[in-house]
Amino acid sequence: MSSDSSSTSGGEFTNPNPSPNSTSKPLEDQFASAALTEPDNEPPEIQESPNGVANGSVGENSHGEIESNEREGAVGSNLEARQSVRWRRTNSEVEVEAPSSPSSSGYAGERGSSSGSGSSGGFDMIGGGIGGGDDEEIQEVSNVDSIQDSQASWMPGKRHVDEAKERGQRGIYYGNIVMIEVGVGNRDGEGFQCSTTISDPVMVVVVLVALVVAVTMVTELVDDASLSWRKRKKHFFILSNSGKPIYSRYGDEHKLAGFSATLQAIISFVENGGDRVKLVRAGNHQVVFLVKGPIYLVCISCTEEPYESLRGQLELIYGQMLLILTKSVNRCFEKNPKFDMTPLLGGTDVVFSSLIHSFSWNPATFLHAYTCLPLAYATRQAAGAILQDVADSGVLFAILMCKHKVISLVGAQKASLHPDDMLLLANFVMSSESFRTSESFSPICLPRYNPMAFLYAYVHYLDVDTYLMLLTTSSDAFYHLKDCRIRIEMVLLRSNVLSEVQRSMLDGGMHVEDLPTDPLPRSGTLSPHLGQPRDSHESLREPFVGIGGPAGLWHFMYRSIFLDQYVSSEFSPPINSPRKQKRLYRAYQNLYASMHDKGIGPHKTQFRRDENYVLLCWVTQDFELYAAFDPLADKAVAIKTCNRVCQWVKDVENEIFLLGASPFSW
Amino acid sequence: MGMSAATTAAEGIKFCIFDLRRGQQEGQELDKILFFFPADLPFSAQLSVIGLSEGLITFTRIFSPEAACEVIEAERHSHVFYEAEPDIWMVMVVEKNESEAIWRIDALRKVLKEVHSLFLMFHGSIRTLIEKEPAGGLIRSHLYPFIMDYLSDFLLGKKLQLPSFRDCLKERGTVQMLTVSREAAIEVQSLVRMLESFAGNTQFYSLILFQDLLVSTTLSPVDTINLFTYAVLRLTPRALSSGVSSWSYLRKGSTASNVATGSILAQSASVSEQNFRSRDTSPPGGVNSHHIARPLQPDRWSKGKDGFLVTDIWGAEASGSTLATPTIWLQQTEERVYVCAYQYRSLTLILLVPVASILNGEQGVSVVKQQILENASLKMLKIEEKLSKGWAGENAYHVSGYRYLLVDGDRDVSRASPPGKVTTLTKESLLALSKVREEVDLEKGRMEHDNAGQEKDLEVCIRAKNNAWVIARITKGKELYMVLEKANETVLYASDAVEKFSNRYCNGAFSLD
Repeated sequence: MSSDSSSTSGGEFTNPNPSPNSTSKPLEDQFASAALTEPDNEPPEIQESPNGVANGSVGENSHGEIESNEREGAVGSNLEARQSVRWRRTNSEVEVEAPSSPSSSGYAGERGSSSGSGSSGGFDMIGGGIGGGDDEEIQEVSNVDSIQDSQASWMPGKRHVDEAKERGQRGIYYGNIVMIEVGVGNRDGEGFQCSTTISDPVMVVVVLVALVVAVTMVTELVDDASLSWRKRKKHFFILSNSGKPIYSRYGDEHKLAGFSATLQAIISFVENGGDRVKLVRAGNHQVVFLVKGPIYLVCISCTEEPYESLRGQLELIYGQMLLILTKSVNRCFEKNPKFDMTPLLGGTDVVFSSLIHSFSWNPATFLHAYTCLPLAYATRQAAGAILQDVADSGVLFAILMCKHKVISLVGAQKASLHPDDMLLLANFVMSSESFRTSESFSPICLPRYNPMAFLYAYVHYLDVDTYLMLLTTSSDAFYHLKDCRIRIEMVLLRSNVLSEVQRSMLDGGMHVEDLPTDPLPRSGTLSPHLGQPRDSHESLREPFVGIGGPAGLWHFMYRSIFLDQYVSSEFSPPINSPRKQKRLYRAYQNLYASMHDKGIGPHKTQFRRDENYVLLCWVTQDFELYAAFDPLADKAVAIKTCNRVCQWVKDVENEIFLLGASPFSW
Repeated sequence: MGMSAATTAAEGIKFCIFDLRRGQQEGQELDKILFFFPADLPFSAQLSVIGLSEGLITFTRIFSPEAACEVIEAERHSHVFYEAEPDIWMVMVVEKNESEAIWRIDALRKVLKEVHSLFLMFHGSIRTLIEKEPAGGLIRSHLYPFIMDYLSDFLLGKKLQLPSFRDCLKERGTVQMLTVSREAAIEVQSLVRMLESFAGNTQFYSLILFQDLLVSTTLSPVDTINLFTYAVLRLTPRALSSGVSSWSYLRKGSTASNVATGSILAQSASVSEQNFRSRDTSPPGGVNSHHIARPLQPDRWSKGKDGFLVTDIWGAEASGSTLATPTIWLQQTEERVYVCAYQYRSLTLILLVPVASILNGEQGVSVVKQQILENASLKMLKIEEKLSKGWAGENAYHVSGYRYLLVDGDRDVSRASPPGKVTTLTKESLLALSKVREEVDLEKGRMEHDNAGQEKDLEVCIRAKNNAWVIARITKGKELYMVLEKANETVLYASDAVEKFSNRYCNGAFSLD
């Protein structure tokens, strides 16, 4: 029935502006998507699309071709390779069982528990009602209203209950309107009579409000799961411009169709007014919108992060999606606005949730720089030399990493790698379990390098944390890259690079307690580890435990502008619990946003003191320094300490940065 | 309803008030709208603004039930929300397509708060007026002229000039005080006591201003702010002499241009009145036969021969011989009071006489007035002389080298560099400070929402790209904002400067030790 209504209405819906982005069309889709209960059958249609692999035009791949690429890769390589090519599918099975998967604990999971109660029907009925019988819908809504009364106990506070009830009443009425409109089209079979009225802003308003009200009731009244869902501190949603859910951090995106339609309605409503919504603020909550062609990204957060950070995070999520699919996925939407993208991203939930997790601990997500594993200069040189060897033999990028830190990286000729691409690639590899178990050859896209084209990544873990990534444009380079890897691995083993890496992992990076009090003698022999003799130091550090470094220095981050790299001190007391680390991280985010205002920034210096920290920031043409001190720290001494930190970083830059081999210096 | 001058005058600004409890029947959505500016915008466009607002209010309540939508930032517009009364929302939409149109949301919300507070003072709550006449004609006929008159003060040339980043060293909704010598303070005190003695068994309230600055008040803080705001807008000597620009840092300059452009708004008003009338379901003439006072109408107050300020805004008395004395509502005590304003040179005395305390209306008021003339006028003369002698003029509160704003949130008092001095700052410095204030606004908002109870203590000191120091200090309910151009480059210099200022002018409130 619902598909009926949408198809009959489709023709006349495209009213005010005939662009594909006009409100009316998405609205139609909302009805369709709200009413559909089964997954639709678009994916097979995509698979039928002709594959363009034969002509080797990597840049022109659409989804259908992604699949066939994988298949071809499988055909052309040995068993091992095929296994890795199929990682995505096997992966998805693994993730469903993974206890850490947010969807298992989120909205969808808990929702099932109350399915027996009348309220659970409310969701579907409201959705279905929009496309179907009006009487039923009203009943359902009022039904929900009464149920809500009985469930009032879990509502926080009486006032809220009243409000909800009021809204519920309004909802009855609004639901009614929408339904009557659609119902006319259904019963008379004479197309969508209200197509003209809907294009009328008045009706659009009514529909928008109706949708919002419907969703409010859905999320408010269905069951307790929705309460816990609403109380999540940070939601991320990806949806299509027709309102189809693509990804949701919490809850099953398929069950959030109505919610997704509301987000879409808001975006396209503002768009229809010739504008573009960026941010909605309500109390401690922010709703941040990002439109990327046919893809809409939304973040709803009460984490006190600045708008610029949240928007940057949406950009990264979009980038992560491109890394998996390339931008050519847009064409699927051009062909079919109701295209369902979720199957394409099947099994990649864990990639997104790991990225989202990194938004609260990895400074690279807002500094737009990468960080290196501290290593002796010679060790890094040795690693760089062998990577350079393979880069000369047709590898686009050769990257050796340990967790999220770079050991060495080399790019062919003029190719440069953006730090954001490295972040997304590393996240993709580290979050996918299958990469750990075997060598893999997988199509990936580097959105900053070329958002339209797939590259092929040969990934192999050399030990638990250390992995090698070789990127190429050629889809049949698996054997060649495998050979390269064997060569690299041999050299790394022979030159002890891997054991050095292990040691560095144990030793950690720069500790604020180690900040030299005097300018360091420049002779390199004295400093086995970051300018400090390591063993004698352990005893020295003892008295500082619990109070951080000198002058109340707790932590710092130093970003080299030219190198696109940053170094961050290890967390030490009193910033030793994850909660405290996250809070400091958020404070840095705020400081960064404050310093880098789009209109008037960047500022030169900032001193900021609140009840938690003294923060100092210093931005020059060459570097940026962010330092956190005890809130009682003396200003003058803190400034001096910052100068010493800068000096210290310069003294040990050979060990903490990848020098000379910067991807941009080619 | 074609193009009128009003649309061009108000380009980029929309301002509406709507009631979420109204217009819930199909086809009656227009009923929600209590006020819309510009009034000649097609109904469909008006409804679109209100529909989006309502949609987002509902949507945001899903996640934030206690505090619904406060602002929508879009690429080209900011929509600022304020829930003036339960379910009665004020929304202002401002365009940001030019280099001057950079807004601080909190400053815009303060405009909404101010106009609502003033409305409460003169007409009572919006809800009450709606309940009085559910068709809505009554509230609309009150709101429209009131808000249009209020907006006329923001007209500069042909444009409505709302507070932008250039006003970041101002704080609306606060009172500016005159610093008074001990001697003068004693005189003022005795005047206030004398005024109170007129009341007999009841209580009179008084507010005394020198120029545009407050000298004394016996009102509650909220009523003080409202009446002070009104006095500076319409009653003080500068407000009376139209054409002379006010130096009060909260008021836009040239009143002269208001006269010219006031007609544009008036024209728009007439368009709208027609609209609203045609929308009314009440019998024609029913509502409109009432006289509706327009307390904010410009240039309607004047100084009478006896020194009392008079206006025909409230019409004449039944007998027609004398003009009716204005009355206002006090929020604190919820009583209606007569407003008697007496002016001697720069000194303005506003005496508030509870309506309930006077049995015979205007006659009783004139008795009180007589008492003022006989007993208080001499005292006022003396006080005026003293204050004038000690008054250093409009740059009295300038501190050389500093551009500052000092806000005492507990007392709703602010003091700032004179506007003439603030204009010497570069655009970059003002933008930077406006941004910092926005950050601070967010922090303060979080404190409110979290209800933590603890007081915010914050110090931000930024060296901007143009080498100006931009400083914000929040401590114990007090806020200090400062721009130092041409200052030394070290943070220590900047904090020294704050320290000196704090010790000399803020009793060390912002000093570190």
